[in-house]
Amino acid sequence: MTKAINVLIFFSVALSCARAQVPSGFKSLFNGKDLEQWHTSRTSHQGTVGNFYVEDGVITLKQNPYGQGGILLTNKKFKDFELYVEVKIDSFCNGGIFLRSTETGQAYQIELAMPGGTGSLLGEAMQISQGAEAKDIAKAWKANDWNSFRVRMVGEVPKISLWVNGVFMWEVKQPKNDFTAGAIEGMIGLQSHWTALYQAIPGGFNMPGAWRPGAAHRFRNIAVKEL
Amino acid sequence: MKARILLICFLLGGEWVMAQTKITNTVGMEFVLIDAGTVVIGEFKPPYPVPADTVKSLPHDYMMYMGQGRGYNEKEFKLAREMATRDSKEGHVFQISRPYYMATTEVTQAQWKKVMGYNPSQFTGDSLPVENVSWKEVQKFIKKLNTLERHKAYRLPSEAEWEHAARAGSKKDIPWKEIEVSANLNKKTTVAVASKKPNAWGLYDMLGNVWEWVDDYYNEKLFADPEPPKKGKQHVLKGASFVGDVKNATYMTHAGGPGNGWDVGFRIVKGVEKNSK
Repeated sequence: MTKAINVLIFFSVALSCARAQVPSGFKSLFNGKDLEQWHTSRTSHQGTVGNFYVEDGVITLKQNPYGQGGILLTNKKFKDFELYVEVKIDSFCNGGIFLRSTETGQAYQIELAMPGGTGSLLGEAMQISQGAEAKDIAKAWKANDWNSFRVRMVGEVPKISLWVNGVFMWEVKQPKNDFTAGAIEGMIGLQSHWTALYQAIPGGFNMPGAWRPGAAHRFRNIAVKEL
Repeated sequence: MKARILLICFLLGGEWVMAQTKITNTVGMEFVLIDAGTVVIGEFKPPYPVPADTVKSLPHDYMMYMGQGRGYNEKEFKLAREMATRDSKEGHVFQISRPYYMATTEVTQAQWKKVMGYNPSQFTGDSLPVENVSWKEVQKFIKKLNTLERHKAYRLPSEAEWEHAARAGSKKDIPWKEIEVSANLNKKTTVAVASKKPNAWGLYDMLGNVWEWVDDYYNEKLFADPEPPKKGKQHVLKGASFVGDVKNATYMTHAGGPGNGWDVGFRIVKGVEKNSK
């Protein structure tokens, strides 16, 4: 009997290690079944339809039709918050986590691209004053596996901090609020990048390397703590 | 130079109708006559990479987005071709059976204020396009304008009318160089209407500045269906805004509300009246 209990405890611990949990005090943004707390941006330059769905209990972002990405947004807007999310990204796909995103997808962005600039702070569809690079990410990153991101964003002039798998990456205080119309709150967004236009047109270039055909970015245990 | 008034004829409802090519209404809105015709909407032929393509010659800034110089392998080239071919569509031919007058510019704040008596816009200025207007508020504006002029000819364009007018006869989507000279993009705010080059039919800001509401309900698909939905949660937005870019500031982009609010406006059309002989 004791042996059976020990085996049970062992598997419980192993399971909890393999599938980390949302930190206490955070409110889940995903029920593991559907996207009821989320919606697709219908005005994003990445694409207007998105191919976003729940598979095996995780949010999955792919392209469909060919070349069209998109942005998945929370229904709710957040001002000062900490975000916890676990991500698993296929290589050669450019995506990101959007912070205080507008409906169309202007946002401060944590880049998700392997190889590439994963963990960098960039502007999506807007210029930001101060970017950042996660120079130490290799020390924390688990290739082809789940990795946790913890982001803290506070202040009307935003100060943003990032931890990957619990390892501090950077903290950036912007010199000004870069948002159009001075927005001080916005949605959390998940992005899959476009790669092709509607048609081949003169002067248009395409970005096939921005999303490998058939590939996915996956997200689970997404939760937020409003501050 | 003395302005010339041009008269042309249309067969409308079995009778020939003469209409001016340009008109100005009581609140100073200018319109041009758009002829009936056909427009193909939703011809989707996404380009895909082939093995001869290389990403090595691209500027450094693009390298990250292109996969750090890594090209596709053979399997990925094949899959890209298969997906692009699978998803390609010929589009639908939309018949626009009646001519209509289309406003040469987005409705300005001065025009909105004249009709409605208030200004909902985030970025203010008389010659800037009105924004921060819902589709329902736009209907109130149109109703009031029709009442002011004692007819019922003003309305929003259908998506097909909008795209027919935006394309101005072009079969292919807009080249990027043309977008750059005609569309207000990558700005911090809206800008004065008609500040860039008009299209071939004399319409300004069909792309950029503010998204434009059209009459149709939004189908939540990449392109319009042959018939718009009878009902829906949102209406279609066309043309992208000042925070858009060359990817969505094209004739073809079929977007849906609500947008950002501060980058959503509209332009109106006026039906050609049967008694305009």
